Amino acid sequence: MLEGGKIDTWQAVFLNVIMVSATALLGAPAIMVAQAGQDGWLSALLATMLGLPIAWITVKLSSLYPGQTLIQYLDDILGRWPGKALGLLYLLYFTHITSIMVREYGSFLVDVFLIGTPITVVNAMGLIISAYIIKLGLEVLARSNQLFFPWVIGSLVLTFLLVIPEMDLARVQPVLEAGGLQIFKGSLAPLAWYGEIIAFAMVIPFLAKPGEAGKIVILTFIILGLIFFLLVVVGLAVFGPGLANMNYPILNVTRVISLSRVIERPEPLIMTVWVTGGLFKVTFFYYIIVLGSAQLLQLKSYRPLVLPVGAILAALSLNVSASTLQMFSFLAHYWPFYALFTFEFGFPVALLGIALIKNRGNKSK
Amino acid sequence: MAFFSRRRKKTGPADAKPNTRDSGQGSKKQIAQSLLLSPDLDENLRFLKQSFADCSDVVFREFLFAQREQIKLALVYVDGLTNKSQLSDQVMRALSLEIPAATDNTVITKANALHYVKMRGLCIHQVKETENLQEAVEAILSGDSILLVDGHATAVINGSRGWEARSIEESQTQGVVRGPRESFVETLRTNTSLVRRKIKNKDLKIESLTLGEVTRTDIAVAYIKGIVNEDLVTEVKQRLTRIKIDGILESGYIEELIRDNPLSMFPTVGHTDRPDRVAANLLEGRVAIFVDGTPMVLTVPHFFVEAIQTPEDYYEQALFTSFVRLLRIGSLLIALTLPSLYVAIISFHQEMLPTPLLLSIAAQREAVPFPVFVEALLMEIAFEIIREAGIRLPRQVGQAISIVAALIVGQAAVQAGLVAGATIIVVALTAMASFVVYYSGSLAFRLLRFPLMFLAASFGLFGLIAGLIVIVVHMTSLRSFGVPYLAPIGPLVPGDLKDSIVRAPWWAMIKRPHLVGQNNPVREASGMRPKPPQTTAQKGGDADAGRRQN
Amino acid sequence: MIKKTLCLLLILCLLLPLGGCWSRQELGDLAIVLAAGLDSAPDGKIMLTVQLARPSAFGGGDNGQRAAGPQQNNVWVVSQTGDTVYDAQRYLEAKVSRELYWGHTMLLVLGEQIAREGIRKAFNFFSRAPDTRETIWVLVSRGAASEVLNSHSQLENTSAQGVGAMVRSGVGVPVMMKDLSMMLASKGTNPVLPRIELTASGTPQGPGMKENIPQAQTEPSHGTHTHAELTITGTGVFNDDRLVGWLGMMESRGMLWLRDEIEKGEITIPSLTEPGKHLSIRIDRGTTEVEPYYDGQNIWFDVKMRMDGELWEQQSMEKITEPQIFAALEKSLALRIEEKSRAVLEKTQQVFGVDIFGFGDAWHRKYPNEWPALKDRWDEEFKTADVHITVEAKIRRTGLTTNRISQEE
Repeated sequence: MLEGGKIDTWQAVFLNVIMVSATALLGAPAIMVAQAGQDGWLSALLATMLGLPIAWITVKLSSLYPGQTLIQYLDDILGRWPGKALGLLYLLYFTHITSIMVREYGSFLVDVFLIGTPITVVNAMGLIISAYIIKLGLEVLARSNQLFFPWVIGSLVLTFLLVIPEMDLARVQPVLEAGGLQIFKGSLAPLAWYGEIIAFAMVIPFLAKPGEAGKIVILTFIILGLIFFLLVVVGLAVFGPGLANMNYPILNVTRVISLSRVIERPEPLIMTVWVTGGLFKVTFFYYIIVLGSAQLLQLKSYRPLVLPVGAILAALSLNVSASTLQMFSFLAHYWPFYALFTFEFGFPVALLGIALIKNRGNKSK
Repeated sequence: MAFFSRRRKKTGPADAKPNTRDSGQGSKKQIAQSLLLSPDLDENLRFLKQSFADCSDVVFREFLFAQREQIKLALVYVDGLTNKSQLSDQVMRALSLEIPAATDNTVITKANALHYVKMRGLCIHQVKETENLQEAVEAILSGDSILLVDGHATAVINGSRGWEARSIEESQTQGVVRGPRESFVETLRTNTSLVRRKIKNKDLKIESLTLGEVTRTDIAVAYIKGIVNEDLVTEVKQRLTRIKIDGILESGYIEELIRDNPLSMFPTVGHTDRPDRVAANLLEGRVAIFVDGTPMVLTVPHFFVEAIQTPEDYYEQALFTSFVRLLRIGSLLIALTLPSLYVAIISFHQEMLPTPLLLSIAAQREAVPFPVFVEALLMEIAFEIIREAGIRLPRQVGQAISIVAALIVGQAAVQAGLVAGATIIVVALTAMASFVVYYSGSLAFRLLRFPLMFLAASFGLFGLIAGLIVIVVHMTSLRSFGVPYLAPIGPLVPGDLKDSIVRAPWWAMIKRPHLVGQNNPVREASGMRPKPPQTTAQKGGDADAGRRQN
Repeated sequence: MIKKTLCLLLILCLLLPLGGCWSRQELGDLAIVLAAGLDSAPDGKIMLTVQLARPSAFGGGDNGQRAAGPQQNNVWVVSQTGDTVYDAQRYLEAKVSRELYWGHTMLLVLGEQIAREGIRKAFNFFSRAPDTRETIWVLVSRGAASEVLNSHSQLENTSAQGVGAMVRSGVGVPVMMKDLSMMLASKGTNPVLPRIELTASGTPQGPGMKENIPQAQTEPSHGTHTHAELTITGTGVFNDDRLVGWLGMMESRGMLWLRDEIEKGEITIPSLTEPGKHLSIRIDRGTTEVEPYYDGQNIWFDVKMRMDGELWEQQSMEKITEPQIFAALEKSLALRIEEKSRAVLEKTQQVFGVDIFGFGDAWHRKYPNEWPALKDRWDEEFKTADVHITVEAKIRRTGLTTNRISQEE
């Protein structure tokens, strides 16, 4: 067994929420609003609905192959070599999106707060902390995430409360002006975020109660749906459709808060907490890459892989895109198609189909 | 008459004889261990005198039995470790002058002298016999006196320990306003008796063992059978018996030798000098380790939240206690992060301050030549120096130091423009906050403050949070005797939150902390919440009962 | 494991000193910009004027130097032209020994001329650079912004803080950077900005500083100076990004009513019985609802205003305890509000021809399908739109007395 730790139900929910929402806190509202205008919040709700099938497939696959991670049951479904090949592709995909996340957070910090600090240093620092957590195992990751999670959500709620004086719900109206197609287009990017739930398939075997995986994803989606919805509504209510042109719209939302005469602009504090969320998201994916690679290569321990994978992630994160603008346009326009129709939805559907056919074959024998 | 024996241990030299005692120094000890007493008093004395050669504090007193002059007796003890008046009254006087004549006119002979000495002569409560020389030597060393009777190969060990010891005083490290005042002292037996007096129950087990090849320090492991998890006791005993060391002078030796995560700064073994705290820990299912020679008793397993708990918390009102505990958490956070927060805000996130405050701080800092990080670091180090000096310096010069510290470092530095007033405030607040939790609990935070300041000076708030993440992750990975150190917060144990950062009233804490007391979870009856008496008018008797209950 | 962790920590520690100077800004290396002004300069350039705080003049705590010595100038006002704001700022750093720090900028004052030429090109820096705030108050000055900033406040440390406090308290129309951006982005409304200028305001007592009005400074130094204080004197009305005219203080109140931004204030009505005497009512609460209508041809609006007030001054002697008189007072109050609103509405419709009340946005919300056809000629439609104003005013309290105490029996 590569991983001896066990995580309980709520820890898994928190991990999943962080895994999907951390990066969405930064840019997602702008991407939705860019397509759907003031109906962006409808896109958020639509994406939550559309995301549920992906989650169901993830859970279903794991329940067909209990005790096995995604990388492991690929072998069973597709056979040895095709399974390994697809496993490798999945690992590459995880590596790619993880390096994008690292870059996203790195450039966020360097753009806004640490102007002048080399992004290399920021990324490296984050990855070193991630590596440290991974060395300590999944259990420590889940527990410390559980410790920080209330702060992340709390800061979000606090932001929403403090910004109420600046909000005007008239800016969210008129409803349904954008039309169904635009709303659907706006929901693709968040859907790709929701699709990251496929990574959950890598830790389902380590649940203390694997039977509750279904409950976990439902809870996750309820919390996530609420977060996405509120992010867009609050963003719109403060800035109107002009939100679409902001790089980090929720940052701008926090910037208008003023706890008069105590803390003039609390956004560094709030953002700091969110960066914590981002760090745990990166750590989770980093862990999955390391664990998956160890399983693919059938190693006895994943720990020797931690540093090499970290080095790869650091290097990739610097070269994954040339500028912030390019990165966000990739996330808005290409990523949904790249991720959704293959790794997050297409492949899992195909896998589930094959698995069900195979199972039926087995039963009939 | 006891038979003349020269039994050997299996491992001893094949033909060891009494007269080979003087031979080679190296083998002497080994031989002595294997030897039994001889019936010949002189030989025994000769042997003991050799053993205690150059030990000027060992006293050999030979005297004659009251009735029969030919029966020689000898008393051996360490001067200073025994109660001398007890010895002279109840041993020497009783035996040499007052021993009553046997009523049945039995003649006291050499043969039955031992019996008479023990049964009629000695007026001492604890009496034990031994035939082993080594045991006799150890008894002498631990303060008992031994009485040798000519013609018998048996030494009578008199429990006459009595030495100059500190009396039981008020706790120096964990004082309380409400609650018992007594604290442990340096004597093991006194300490165990203090706990036994609180827990009058046969299930309170106190097992002894001796550690330290040279110091032969007594250790006692205490637990309450039926509450404690037996595996924990086995684990503790196993870790203790693994210790091979020349000496143990304080429980800190043992703490470092048995703890998990030996390199962590956070204490995963608790210590206290308060009997009530030890008793409470035992009642929750923990194990206490008493060490002779120190008032500090170890308790395991130890949680992080214990750093913010004091015994008084359980005696004062629950609401007030909860407030104080939150205050302590706040203080811990201040002690850990305030200087780095200050550095981060002043040199990275100036926009967070209200404009008038920023202008005021800017005005103060106008004359200061150093970056704020250097300034804060210097002041923090200065403060640590003052604190260390305050502990070490002789009492008489304490006042002088505090004047110097307050005047020079505080007033003069600000006036000379070396530091800003705001920095002094930050450092002073940090210092005060670090004293709110008990001393050893805050050591890690005092130390970690400095790396956090470095991080804050390099990356602002993000460096600070990165440091905090590493600290929290490290703490989550810690375990104390198999129990997660951060419990009940991480992992979350909802039931145990009642007695963590807040405290529920006693009637609501029905169960013991889950992770240590799950062996026997229920500690009190449920439904004890005091209520006003029902229907006072109708049932006078019941009303009285209700009042009594309240 | 431990070794590796230690190695990592060691590397991290070695890395840190390197990081020491990347993005750290010592407080002593910053020139804190309290207010910025933009004027147009020849050749399409922009002149940036900044009001910098001089920390040494603020005095720290108890050393008392400030009280004893001659009063020092708290700020330094300095100007520089450049192609863009940031360009000007870089040039400015050749004059200013410290790095300009925009995190505490409270005011952005747009000069009259640049406002007339178009403000879009001027203020992007302030919403893009991460240092600055979305919550900067934006104002337009009568005359050059550089002159307006060259002032100080008698009560506050700096004139920027003084104006900031005034705007926040709801005198004039409060407009933040983010509000201005939104107003510019919307086709259904046009921006308004509060107008400030220097006005003669009392004479300073005791040894004071050279006062703000330029002609006063040329006078001999003895004798009393007239002090000029930054004053909010009305509202600048914009057509898209160009200033087209001014509204006075009275008209500004009417505009606030129509924009549903009335927060506090006072309304004075003539006495019913004694000509030339007045009553003043404090506004507790004022709300405005705009209901747009469209029949395919005509556009009209029903505007409903509600007000709760408290009578705080009465020059005349009428018995307000009489129900008829009280009702008449409330009616007169409603009429007064309607008059004020009507006046400013007519002025904007007829003189400026722009919708500054957000009526277009309200119309957009109600008729989203018809909006695309109309949005580009909305101001034309607004000019001819009928607006029906109904006001419901209530006097809820009368202060400490009912009728006047000096009332004759």
